[in-house]
Amino acid sequence: MTTTAAFTEAEFMIAQCARVLDDQKTAFIGFGMPQVAAILAQRIQAPQLVQVFEFGAIGSEPLTPFVRNTMGGPANCYRSIAWTTMNQIFAQAQLGLIDYGVLGATQIDLYGNVNSTMLGTDYLRPTKRFPGSGGANEVASFCWKTIVIMMHERRRFVPRVDFITSPGYLDGTPEARERSGLPTGTGPWRVVTSKALFGFDDDSHKMTLIGVLDGLQPDEVLSEMDFKPLVADRVETLAPPTAQELSILREQIDPARTIIGKTARA
Amino acid sequence: MEILSNGVGEFRFTDPDVIRAWMRDHKRRDFVDKTCSEAEAIARFVKDGDYVSFDFSSFTRGPLGLIREIIRQGRRNLWYCAKFTLMESTLLAAAGAIARIDVGFMGLGDTLNRAVEAGSIQVTEWTNGTLTLRHLAGGMGVPFLPTRAMLGSDTLAYSGAKVVRDPFGGKPVALVPALHPDVGLIHVHQADVYGNARCFGPGVSPLETAMASRRVIVSADEIIDHDDIRKDPSKTTVPYYMVDAVVYSPFGAYPGGVQALYEMDFEHFAEYNAMERQGRLKEYLDKYVYSVASNTEMLEKRVGLERLNALRRRATVREGYR
Repeated sequence: MTTTAAFTEAEFMIAQCARVLDDQKTAFIGFGMPQVAAILAQRIQAPQLVQVFEFGAIGSEPLTPFVRNTMGGPANCYRSIAWTTMNQIFAQAQLGLIDYGVLGATQIDLYGNVNSTMLGTDYLRPTKRFPGSGGANEVASFCWKTIVIMMHERRRFVPRVDFITSPGYLDGTPEARERSGLPTGTGPWRVVTSKALFGFDDDSHKMTLIGVLDGLQPDEVLSEMDFKPLVADRVETLAPPTAQELSILREQIDPARTIIGKTARA
Repeated sequence: MEILSNGVGEFRFTDPDVIRAWMRDHKRRDFVDKTCSEAEAIARFVKDGDYVSFDFSSFTRGPLGLIREIIRQGRRNLWYCAKFTLMESTLLAAAGAIARIDVGFMGLGDTLNRAVEAGSIQVTEWTNGTLTLRHLAGGMGVPFLPTRAMLGSDTLAYSGAKVVRDPFGGKPVALVPALHPDVGLIHVHQADVYGNARCFGPGVSPLETAMASRRVIVSADEIIDHDDIRKDPSKTTVPYYMVDAVVYSPFGAYPGGVQALYEMDFEHFAEYNAMERQGRLKEYLDKYVYSVASNTEMLEKRVGLERLNALRRRATVREGYR
């Protein structure tokens, strides 16, 4: 497939996130970038990706253009197979019916713990407060494979998050999730950034570099992180967004570029 | 049951027998016309210091008209349930109506975050799912429900949940306490005058919010005949005896939308976003709340028929929402 030279960081990470979503799976979709990635996946390799949302919509095929903030409205919930409510859909996830969870994140650490609550050392007097978990804690606790999509900015990749809003592999010790009571066999699976793709080591549960965007060296990715992840023996080269991906993103999904126009901050 | 850990967050809890007695004594079983103005509903059923919950979101089928009336009447020291909250929690905070928030997800813009940083609003951590589960527990009349959410996280440590050893299987499991809001605010597509209410499409927890709350105010975009309820009972979301007041409120979710009736008003949200960023929410509240006497007057004078018609015109996806 041909590639287009110019693309934004958001376009690459959305395309890369869409590529890791297999067809005929269920996926819990978070607000914003995960929505765009899921729609893109549906329009390329995963037409039967079953999107579910925390307000209970199941299996929607969202109308495009995508419009930010209309998540619970008719466009995003178009052609669903069921409309339920929050307790019902989180019960389904807790039961083990939801394969992927796709989330954005403010801050992440070596073990895939996610912070969207606060920065600082004193919970009562945060240096910076954020809106909180939303439904992210449930998604990261219950779905079989959690995928985190985030801009590759140094301040977002920290050795230890200030606050574990949503659980990754916690302190990284063997079976830390299971010992805390979280469902067996769940946890962060991929971290998709504007520069790279990470997995998690089976034994140490440490974040592991498995792919870098074509044209970048692994060191250029690692230097933009506040901790040292593991590096896979063979680091895959990730293709830039293809012409097909870009045309669907730009012409069908987000012509206003509210999501795909985003770039990293220095 | 062995308690393994306790969250340190402050939370509301009520003995289930106290709630049962409340439901026996205060929820009318007779068929009485409960329609009233939003001003009367808020004056009668929302007090300073109340715990307030709502459904669904400020973008979709949220009770924004009722929220504005709470602000207009100057309620103070509310404890607000932010299970899916955006604009309305921010407006309540900007108006000085909120003392505490259960989070969830809070705010549209940074106003609330700054208030928490400054310590002027207290927070207890939860998640959207566990707050909704607390409504279900409350609505079931049981003291708590178990969940496998929040385990291992700091969210749990700063919540009011407990981690116990499952007495059946032996694994750690979280317990969340039942929640009984003093007031539940629910905007619906249709209701009859007795309070039988229908909402269409997905939602957060309209029924659980109605069941768990001591007092329930339903605002409805349309009032329908009681016989319509009886002709199609599978469409009833909330039965009348849970409901204390019915407010006829066309465009009651404005500036949010109601599925298949009208779209959200993006221009309004853009105006709000700009004013929020510039620290001008007092001015916003003057324009849309304090300087008008009612939701109807706000819609007439600050929005106008042409804009409202355009929002109706844009609600072209109708299938399923009836």
